[in-house]
Amino acid sequence: MTYTFQFGVVGTNLGFLLSGIYATLYVTIAALAIGAVVGLVVGIGRLSKRRLLAALAGAYVEVFRNTPALVQLIWVYYCLPILTGINMSAAVSCTIALAVNGAAYMAEIVRGGIQSIDRGQVEAARTLGLSHFQTMRKIVLPQAFRRMIPPFVNESVALLKFSSLVSVLGVADLTYQAQVLSTTTFRPIEIFTFVAIVYFALCTVLSHCARLLELRLAVSD
Amino acid sequence: MVRVERVNKSFGALHVLRDIDLDVKTREVVVLIGASGSGKTTLLRCINCLEAIDSGRIWVDGVPMGFHDEAGVFKRDPERLLNQKRAQIGFVFQRFNLFSHMTALQNVALAPTMVKRMPRREAEELAAAQLARVGLADKLHAYPARLSGGQQQRVAIARALAMSPKLMLFDEPTSALDPELVGEVLEAMKQLADEGMTMIVVTHEMGFAREVGDRILFLHEGAILEEGTPEQMFNRPRQERTRTFLSKVL
Repeated sequence: MTYTFQFGVVGTNLGFLLSGIYATLYVTIAALAIGAVVGLVVGIGRLSKRRLLAALAGAYVEVFRNTPALVQLIWVYYCLPILTGINMSAAVSCTIALAVNGAAYMAEIVRGGIQSIDRGQVEAARTLGLSHFQTMRKIVLPQAFRRMIPPFVNESVALLKFSSLVSVLGVADLTYQAQVLSTTTFRPIEIFTFVAIVYFALCTVLSHCARLLELRLAVSD
Repeated sequence: MVRVERVNKSFGALHVLRDIDLDVKTREVVVLIGASGSGKTTLLRCINCLEAIDSGRIWVDGVPMGFHDEAGVFKRDPERLLNQKRAQIGFVFQRFNLFSHMTALQNVALAPTMVKRMPRREAEELAAAQLARVGLADKLHAYPARLSGGQQQRVAIARALAMSPKLMLFDEPTSALDPELVGEVLEAMKQLADEGMTMIVVTHEMGFAREVGDRILFLHEGAILEEGTPEQMFNRPRQERTRTFLSKVL
């Protein structure tokens, strides 16, 4: 092996590299939050008795699941300002793109969660005189949310990793900083190995927090 | 209290209820018996509008279920009206259907707070009283998963009673229970009957039917084939099919 690893380059530029974590977390958390809300609405929409609403929600899921996230990112960045006349920073465009993409998967998680609740729960609530909306809010969703936590964490971890795509549009996230540093130091192997470890650490922390939440909520089951 | 007139109900090609007529008086306990698939459960679900009927009319305490009279024209109830009507009828399911993410107390207090807009404290006092009534004063804060089947079903009865229903419907309330737990649920139902509650009970517990029932109805293939007092039905059934059925279950 002729290559000599020199991980010193990571140490000397640690501050510069880690400054990318901020953008990575910002984009991921904002996209997750927006995606969860949109996903909840779309997921419930897919189960609606109103055919048009269900079809629209279904179309949304299909479109965003069946096109590459990178293409959506680029599309939002270049086309949305032209169509709407609003100019957005790359970071905002990327957040929107990741949010709408994530929402499509969230919607499926929401739908699965709701459908997994026994029909008897709904019938019991309705015989007591609760309305459809009250039944959803008090009975179905609280139970469905618990079942949605594991797939939601999966999706969050996937989104955190997908956020590396924003580097393509010049958002200074972890991956972007690594690329910049690689081109100036010619040490991509060391730098990207380190970046992989940082992503791994972030994702691991995320899954463990979720596991704790799950255990806390499991008390009544 | 309950009036059912020429009710028909089909699931696809399956004709489950055929021209059912039934009158239940206030304070009366009517027991529906019959083989599985005879339409007992469906009839109960139709009275509460859990299933929409295809034809006929159902009244509970003079109020038409699922329809209302609008200047002489019968119209299908909007959701809000249906909810109001349902809130006055208690329903106890075979599989309890307790809300699994809520304690016994929360299960019972939910509908009074949500539907009757009762203040939380008042609703919880009411819930505690109802649970005490079915012998569960020491299980207020237990989650359903920590309760036996018999205890769960008694919570379900308390939950229905908390809405002060005019009528209670029981759909095979003891069929999902281990044999040693059946007694405590039947005891709670018997107590309720003694207090004068109007009840329609679908059950295979013939001892209960005989002791508590005022009237027994035998359903066969979606029609009421025979009815009478427990004494008549168990000792002198007129129909051959009733005799065959009773000989199998007694």
